[in-house]
Order: sequence, then C-alpha cells, then structure tokens
Amino acid sequence: MIRKKIITSSFFLCMFAATSFAQETDSLLNKAKDKVKEKLQVSGTMGVTYEGYGLTRNPSGWTGYQPRRPWNQVRFNFTPTFKFGKNFSLPFNFNFAAIPTNFAGPYAGIKKPSFGQFITNPMNSFGINPKYKWAELQLGTQYLKYSDLSTGDIGVFGYGVDLRPNIFRFKFFTGISQQGINYVVGPPTVTGAFKRKNWMAQIGVEKEDSYLFAFNVAKGKDLPNSALPAPLTVKPQEGVVLSLVSDLYLEKGFYFKAEGAQSTFTKDVITPLSPVLKSLKPFIEAHTSTITDYAAQAAVGKKGKKLDLGVMVKYLGAGFQTIGYPFLQSDRLDYTLNTRINAWKNKMNIVASIGQRVNNVNNTALKAKQFIGNLNWFTQFSDKFSLNVSYNNFGFQTASGFNPYGIKNVSNDLGINPTFTFTGKKIIHLISMSYNYSKYDERDVITGLTTSNNTHTALLTYVPTYLEKEIAPDFSILYFYNDVPGAKITLATLSAALSMPAVKKKMRLRGQLQYTLGKLNSFSNSNNLIASCNIDFKLTKKLTWATFLTTNYFKYGNEILPNGANYTETSCRTGFQYRFDTKKQK
Amino acid sequence: MKKILSSIIAVFIFTTAMAQIKFNLIINSQPPAQLTEWSNRREVLTLIVTAQGALGVQFKIKTEIKTLDGTVIGSADLAKTSVFTPSSTGTTILVANDVMPLEFMVFTGKYKTSLERTGKLPADNYTICVQPVRPTDYGPMGEVICKNFYLASTQLPILMKPYNEEILDAKKAQTAIIFRWTPVVPKATTPLTYRLQVFEVLPTQGPVQALRSNQPLLDKEIVAATQYIWQPQLTFMPYDGETKKLPTFIWTIQSLDANHNPVTQTDGNGEGRSEPIIFFINPDKNKKSQKDN
Repeated sequence: MIRKKIITSSFFLCMFAATSFAQETDSLLNKAKDKVKEKLQVSGTMGVTYEGYGLTRNPSGWTGYQPRRPWNQVRFNFTPTFKFGKNFSLPFNFNFAAIPTNFAGPYAGIKKPSFGQFITNPMNSFGINPKYKWAELQLGTQYLKYSDLSTGDIGVFGYGVDLRPNIFRFKFFTGISQQGINYVVGPPTVTGAFKRKNWMAQIGVEKEDSYLFAFNVAKGKDLPNSALPAPLTVKPQEGVVLSLVSDLYLEKGFYFKAEGAQSTFTKDVITPLSPVLKSLKPFIEAHTSTITDYAAQAAVGKKGKKLDLGVMVKYLGAGFQTIGYPFLQSDRLDYTLNTRINAWKNKMNIVASIGQRVNNVNNTALKAKQFIGNLNWFTQFSDKFSLNVSYNNFGFQTASGFNPYGIKNVSNDLGINPTFTFTGKKIIHLISMSYNYSKYDERDVITGLTTSNNTHTALLTYVPTYLEKEIAPDFSILYFYNDVPGAKITLATLSAALSMPAVKKKMRLRGQLQYTLGKLNSFSNSNNLIASCNIDFKLTKKLTWATFLTTNYFKYGNEILPNGANYTETSCRTGFQYRFDTKKQK
Repeated sequence: MKKILSSIIAVFIFTTAMAQIKFNLIINSQPPAQLTEWSNRREVLTLIVTAQGALGVQFKIKTEIKTLDGTVIGSADLAKTSVFTPSSTGTTILVANDVMPLEFMVFTGKYKTSLERTGKLPADNYTICVQPVRPTDYGPMGEVICKNFYLASTQLPILMKPYNEEILDAKKAQTAIIFRWTPVVPKATTPLTYRLQVFEVLPTQGPVQALRSNQPLLDKEIVAATQYIWQPQLTFMPYDGETKKLPTFIWTIQSLDANHNPVTQTDGNGEGRSEPIIFFINPDKNKKSQKDN
C-alpha cells in the first residue's frame, strides 16, 4: 500500500517535474525565440506585378497611333531589411523587370540582352548594403549621390564602402554603369554603347544638421573596343570631376552651402593624345578632344516657421561635363531668390521665386537670357472659403545668328482657384472653381512679328463627403480652349469618380469615367471615353493584391485621314505585395 | 658619271622648284563649334589637292585661323604636321584631320583658353587659310587659299513648361498638358525636329533611371514649333494604395537635324537631349501632396 502510494506520489512528482521542466523549457524556448525576434527584425516588401497592354486600331492597317506601353511586362521587387540587434542591418534592393523597354540612353532599343547587360540595365537594380555600426558595404547596383556637381544620377553595378567613424567620412565605389552594346542597323535600331567603368570616392568630415566638408572624385571611362560594330553617333568618352563641397547649418535656421568643381573630360578617346593640352594625371591623359572647365554653386538663407528666404547661385562653365550627371546642361549662370511665407496663423501661405538664367557665359554661343518668376499664394479666408492664386513667367531672349531678329519667347500663366466648403449634418459639399490663362508669345526671327498662343482653362469640381457613408464620389467639368494663328483647339471634359470600401473594408475600390469632346478648327468632333478602376484587396495583414484596369477609346474627327480613324487602348496591372514587418507581429 | 648625277639633281631641283600644288578648299559656312567634331563629319571641311607636274613631290599644309581683321589666332606647327604626297591620279582629297590636326595646332590668348576649357572658339566669324609648303624650309609651293566661316555653339532647348517639379492638378492634366521649350540656338537654316518624350517614373525608380529605362508614354516629333498640347488619355490615379508618392513624370526634348541625327553629338550627352525635368500629378489637390521620390 505504502509502496503504491510512493509509486503514485513519485509518478505525480515526476509528471509535475516533467511538466514544470517542459513548461520551463517552453518558456525558455519562447524567451529565446522572443529574444531572437527582438534581435532579428525584418521590414520592407516583396512582390510581383504583371502589366498587360492592348491596342486595336481602326481601320485595320492604319498606324497613326503607336503603342505606348510594352505588350507584356512582369516586374519583381524584393526589398526587405534584416536587422540583427542594434548594430547590424542587411537591406536588399532588388527591383527588376523581365522585358527590356529602354528608349533613351545607352540601352535604347536593346531586345535580347546578355546576362551582363541585364544586370547593368538601368531598369534593373540588384543591391545589397550590409551595415555594421558606421561601416557599410555597398554591393551590386547603387545610385550614389556624392554631391550636385560630381555624381548622382547614374546607377553603377559594383562594390564599395561607406565608412562613417565619428565625424569622418570615407566613401569609395567602383563598377560598371553600362555594358558594351553593339550597334544594330535594325529595324529596330540599337544605338549601341561602349562599356563604361566608373570610380568614385569621397573623403571628409560631417556632423548631421551641423556641417559637412568633403572632397569628391568621380571618374568614368569608356572602353573603345567593347562594342562591335561600334555606335555610329556615340563616341567613347572619359571624364573626371574633382569637387569640394561644404554645408554649414547655424542657429536660428541660417544655412550656407557651397560646392566648387573642376571637370576634365575627353569627348572622344580615339582622338590623338595632345602635347598641348594639360592632363590631370594620374586620373586622365589629355587628348585633342579633352576640355577642362569649372563649376560652382552656393546657397545662403534662413529657414523658419514663418519665413524661408534663400539665394542660390549656380555657374556651370561651357566645358563642364560630368559622367555622373549625363544630362547636365552646362554653359549657364543661374541666380534665384526663393521665399516661403506663412502668415495669418498659417492661413496664408506664399511661395515665390524669382531669378534669371544666362547662357553663353564663356561666349561660345549666342547670349541667351531667361527670366523666371513663380508665385503661389494660398489663403484660407474662413472654414468655408479659400483662394489660391498662381503666376508663372518664363522669358527667353537671345540673338539669332544671321537672322534679322533675335529669338524671343515669353510664357505667362495666371491661375485663380477659389474653393467653397459647406458643411451639413450628413454631408460636406466642396465646390472648387479654377480658371487659368496661359499666354505664349513667340517672335519670328525673319519677319520680327510676334504670334500669340492663348489658352483658357476653366474647371468646376464638386466633391461631396458623406459623414455617415463610406462612399466618396467626385464630379468635374472642364473647358479648354487654345487659340493660335491657324489652329483653334476646344476640349470639354466630363468626369466622375467613386471611391468606396468593400468586403468588410478589406477591399478599396475606385472607379473613374471620363468623356472628352474635342474640336480642331472647323473639323468634326473627336470623342474620347476613358474608364478605369483600382482594386486594392488586403488578403491578409501583410499581403495585398492591387489591380488597376483601364480602357481608352478615341475617335478622331475628320482632321486626319482615313476619316473615322479610332483606337482602343486597354491596360491592366495586377500584383501581389507582401509586407515584412516583425515589429507588428510582436 | 658625275655629269649624269649632276643632271639628275638639277632636274630634281628644277622639278621641285617649279612644282605647283593647287588647293581647293571647301568648308561649311557654319561648321560645328566643337572643333574635334569637324573630323567626325566629312562634309565640314574638304581640301582637294591637285598636283601639276609635281607627282612624287612632298608637301605640308600651312594652316592658319584668323579673325576677320586678319589677326592670326591659331596656326599649325609645321615642324610636327604630316607630310603629304599627291596621289598618282593627280588629285588628292584631304579632310579636317589632315588640314587642321588639333594636336599640332597652336592657338593664342583667349582663343587658346576657350579651346582648352570648352573645345570651342568664341562665337564669331573666322577665316581659315591653307597653303602648300615645302617640308624642308616651309617655302611656298602654291597659293594661299582662304575661306570664311561662322562659329556659334548649338544651344539645346531649355524646357519651360511644365517647369521643374511643378505639381499639376489631375483634373486638368487628364484633359490636356501644355509643353513648351525654347528653340535650338542659333536658329537653323532648315527646320529642326523636336522629339518630345514623357516617361512615367515608377515608385521604385529615380527620374533619370526612369528616362533611361521606360517606354515613353508620349513620343512625339514636332517640326519647328516649340509648343505641344498633349491629351494624355490617362487617369492619373496613384500607382497603388500603398504608394504615397504622387504620380511622377520626367520629360525631355531631343533635337534632331534634317537627317534625323541629334544636333549635337559630342556636346553633353551626345544624344541631343535637353536636361530633363520632372513634374507631378496630384490626383486629389485637396490632400496634402508628397512629392519626394
């Protein structure tokens, strides 16, 4: 009996001990898991999107309207950031598409890229940036902006570091911004490009929101034999930019920013080496097509709650050219005065800028001056009434070579936009009116006569907001009239949209219908009908399914041949996005 | 034997002295301002060399660039320039690289500075003079031929409207967007074609990346005019419910000459494309905009 009791007691004791042990183990495991969870945080998204496009033109064989999207496209994105503890993070930035659609730049026209071309195509990014404390390793595709005059617009596939111990800054990156692409006569024509290697480095000191002082070097070099046949119109180039940049932020919102840069650029590395021109060794050796010029910019001002005021001056010498900003237009001196004023208890907001741009600073072209002025003045007079007035001016004037009269183009735009709001018990009515007058004067360089191009736009929008319902409609009517000697264009648009939740607020629907009646001179009317809808469906807390569908029907008047020509465009975009978020899971 | 040798030398000296090299210089009256571009385009400068009784006789080309008042601003360093021999057919055709080899051209003063900094001479009228000279003592072997030309660098259009980072109201933009730009300067003798391109910037892209990657939503060629009214036929809804960024677009003008080639091929990006700018479409102007990309 006693033995039985002992056994029973021992059994329960063991069970209790085992249970306690198991519970303890579970609790320990959970704690460990929590700790791991605490230590490992994942944020960001990943997803896949399909885009489809269709175009039907009538009568068949008519090609007066060209497709403007790829027939099919699939885009992938994988951009999670893994955070291990406080000090280590591992962000991924993978964004890529299945079908190349390049129309401008080095990859224009490419259809069947090699693996290297696919990786370095600007439409694809494959970047990983592991970071431990102040040390960041940069791998894969990186769009790095060192400064406004050195490098910033170009993606480079390669490797580098960004080290920020204390106030010190050291950055270095090298890689390939474009692969060699052979010229193809076509059709379709492939312009072709030379393989371009890039190097960039920055060394300096920085304290966030206080100061920055850094020296930048950015270099790019094309390999002349990397494309066979070589491009017809593009030359292999080489360029290096040295720049000094400094930012200073003082108390009470005062700031001062400045950068000075020198570029040495060879426009065609096949041209012979020049004993006459200065080289910038070890970075670059001068050819006959090598030029060396300078650029500088400075901004000074004050930022405050009620007032921002700043002056900016930018000079780009005629020969200043950098591989990091391939579309930079040089040979200019810009100066602008910018201001923002918040007044009347923040009910009045004025944003204005005035400035001038002078081209041909080095007298290599005909002098051109442009006056630029913008004003946007918003006032909330009461809860029921607000008014926005905007004015933009752009004037361009220059001599015109052999022609008797100089070029003079002046664009003026004035906009007035009053908005009325009426609040009822169940509904808020918003009525917004807008009128814009746009005048564009252009002088003929032969006769000296100025032609005026006048545009009037009037818009009325009504937005009712239901306080007890989930639907959100809006309606608008627009009238557009453009008058230029020889052509008068009239457009009238009716548009209605509706937005509402569905499926227990898991789905958000938005649809829009738009009809435009157009008329050119005395030709018959053109007709345009567009229907579109957005469906955002939250499948789970982290998974969403977004779909966009649109169809566009356009029928010309008899201004073009064949009469009755029309087309129907359809496009569809649907994709899943998964959001990583371990924080919320906790 | 001595007599024969003397006779041969005498005949050679006589032939050389009497040899006449005739130049016919053809130059474009408004050549590219970038001097290195002259060698890329054969039509810019052609020198036709005719040798009269001077077959096998060598010569050099004495090239001088002058302002209209006759001041020499640049000349070929004859010690370094190439020696030419007329072809056996009697006519030799030379191009810019032969006549004005930039690596051996010596410019002076502000012209040298301008050339070093920009690759161009200051905008002005100039004269180019060429003369055949003997390779040994640079003595003349023919007449000096001069031709005038005018240099002014091509200035690509500057985009005016929509201005950079302008936020357009979607209700207006869905009906029409007006694009304006300045003309190419100097005004060309033949009408230029302006290729207007508008690209959508996807939420994962930077503006220039979108320009270099995407198919343009608008790709329109406009002859001579500097304004275009675009009926986008698009509903400018946000990309999706998650994206808070405003629909963003980047636009540019590509300037093409009569042969459909970019008007500048060695300046800037080489594609004749103006510096692109971006604009935003605000689908709901009553909501606060977030235009940062």
